[in-house]
Amino acid sequence: MVRSRSLPLAALRAAAYALVVVWSLLPVAFIVASSFKRQTDIFVFPPRLLFTPTIENYLTLWQRYDGFFATMGNSLIVAVGATVLAGTVSFFAGFAYSRYSSRFLAGSAIYMIGIRLLPPIVVTLPLFPAIDYLRLSDTHAVLILLYATFWVSLYTMIVKTFIDEVPQELDEAALMDGATQWQLLWRVILPLCLQGMTAGAIFVFIYSWNEFLFALIFTTQHAKTAPLLISEMMGAIDGAEWGVLFAGVTLQLLPVVALVMLAQKHIIAGLTSGAVKG
Amino acid sequence: MRKPTLSAWLLLAPMHLLLAAVIAVPSLWVLWLSLNESSYGTGLSFVGLDNYAKIFADPYFWRAAWNTFIVVNVVVYLEMALALGLALLFAGGLRYPRIMFAIVLVPYAISEVVSVLAWKILMDPGVGAISRTLETMGLGSFNWSVAPWQGLALVSLIAIWHNLPFTFLLLYAGLLAIPRTLYEAAEVDGATAWQRLVKITLPLLVPTLLLAVIFRLVFAFRLFSEVWLLTKGGPARLTEVLAVYLYQGAFRYGDFGKAGAAGWIMVVGALLIASIYLWQMQRRMARQA
Repeated sequence: MVRSRSLPLAALRAAAYALVVVWSLLPVAFIVASSFKRQTDIFVFPPRLLFTPTIENYLTLWQRYDGFFATMGNSLIVAVGATVLAGTVSFFAGFAYSRYSSRFLAGSAIYMIGIRLLPPIVVTLPLFPAIDYLRLSDTHAVLILLYATFWVSLYTMIVKTFIDEVPQELDEAALMDGATQWQLLWRVILPLCLQGMTAGAIFVFIYSWNEFLFALIFTTQHAKTAPLLISEMMGAIDGAEWGVLFAGVTLQLLPVVALVMLAQKHIIAGLTSGAVKG
Repeated sequence: MRKPTLSAWLLLAPMHLLLAAVIAVPSLWVLWLSLNESSYGTGLSFVGLDNYAKIFADPYFWRAAWNTFIVVNVVVYLEMALALGLALLFAGGLRYPRIMFAIVLVPYAISEVVSVLAWKILMDPGVGAISRTLETMGLGSFNWSVAPWQGLALVSLIAIWHNLPFTFLLLYAGLLAIPRTLYEAAEVDGATAWQRLVKITLPLLVPTLLLAVIFRLVFAFRLFSEVWLLTKGGPARLTEVLAVYLYQGAFRYGDFGKAGAAGWIMVVGALLIASIYLWQMQRRMARQA
């Protein structure tokens, strides 16, 4: 497109790149760096890039805040559960949308995408008493159901576009050879759409790992997730404990940051597979 | 393509069951809730449109609606401009593409809770590194916990920071989809870089831009966590947005009728914004079928 030939233009581009890096990384870098600082060093102004690192905050977190690790465990259970549930139902639905068609089916696909655009907070109003009635309040199950449901629409569309690439003759050949419908799905289709399955799984996992609103409304103790606990610590903290909070936050964010960096290919493929475009 | 058989319906059933139980039925139930009066532990008693009359007479509702309108528009259009600039920068050739993409995607991996925490401290009027730097540069002092417009500005900044990766990827994919031969032909004809941008890139990017705008409008409309975690809607309920107004009404004041009315207004609003997109999708599907 635009090739930089002149020197000023190249300098401008370099400056723009530097700005992008600072913008994207500054908040995260601030938290991660502060988690390795002594309390007295955290709020020094101007901020020091060079400091004596300490793991004291992590030790304090480990010794005095074992509740934090319980919430990390909850986040993991909920995120894995939601990913598996959403992946399973989306795989089946994606196959059906790829291989069958009718006016009614097309209508149901539009409904599937449209319904997902409603604001999540709205459904909490009727669900709050219903979940209480079903004795599902403060359980992993309720978060798994909510998180999975808000992603099945997009997940199904992603899987559908990937299954569309698998020639239908392959289905027919497998069925001719005596495979059951079930074997066709698991042995033939699934291995061929793994990239789409992975892309969808990453979206659900990141969302479930980080979500705040549903966790705030539907969990209190037993199923409390890490983001909710962090939000409570933000409000309740006294001056001496910022470093410990940053240590916890660092542990919460590093796995997903690593996931996003390593799986960028899948994220881009998922977004551009026509999923978002419907 | 075959007509759907029984097994097709069985394959679709679990997904549609989830959607119905968790989103469709509850959303419709909100309409019913909005026509009734109820609180914690009380039954519903039908009051017609009373709840709507009540919230339309409530200055806090109008404040929240206005704040939502402003923040959503600021966030979406500023974000579009930034994402477009970023996409053009990246499409113009990149030295370390994998690393640069990884860096740009980082905010997508961060929980809203964490991004609010980081920005809150960086912008803290007393100890924040950014706010104090700005102050030293003579750009005035910030106190977003006192001045409502500053609170909402910070909310917008955090929302943009968070969602820029998504918008950027959408626009970047749109840029890559423009056939290169067009640029080659333009170059042969002696078009300048600016002419290529205005005459080829932007017009061909319009569908992608429109899609991105609708998507971001829909998702910005549900804004909750950033406001709740940063200002709790204060001071004096001046920075509430619709989702926070609904949350306060239901879970703090226990007025599920009023919250239901606000909720139904949000449902209708979201569907109105999304309708252009859904209508286009329906047309495309009709063409394919």
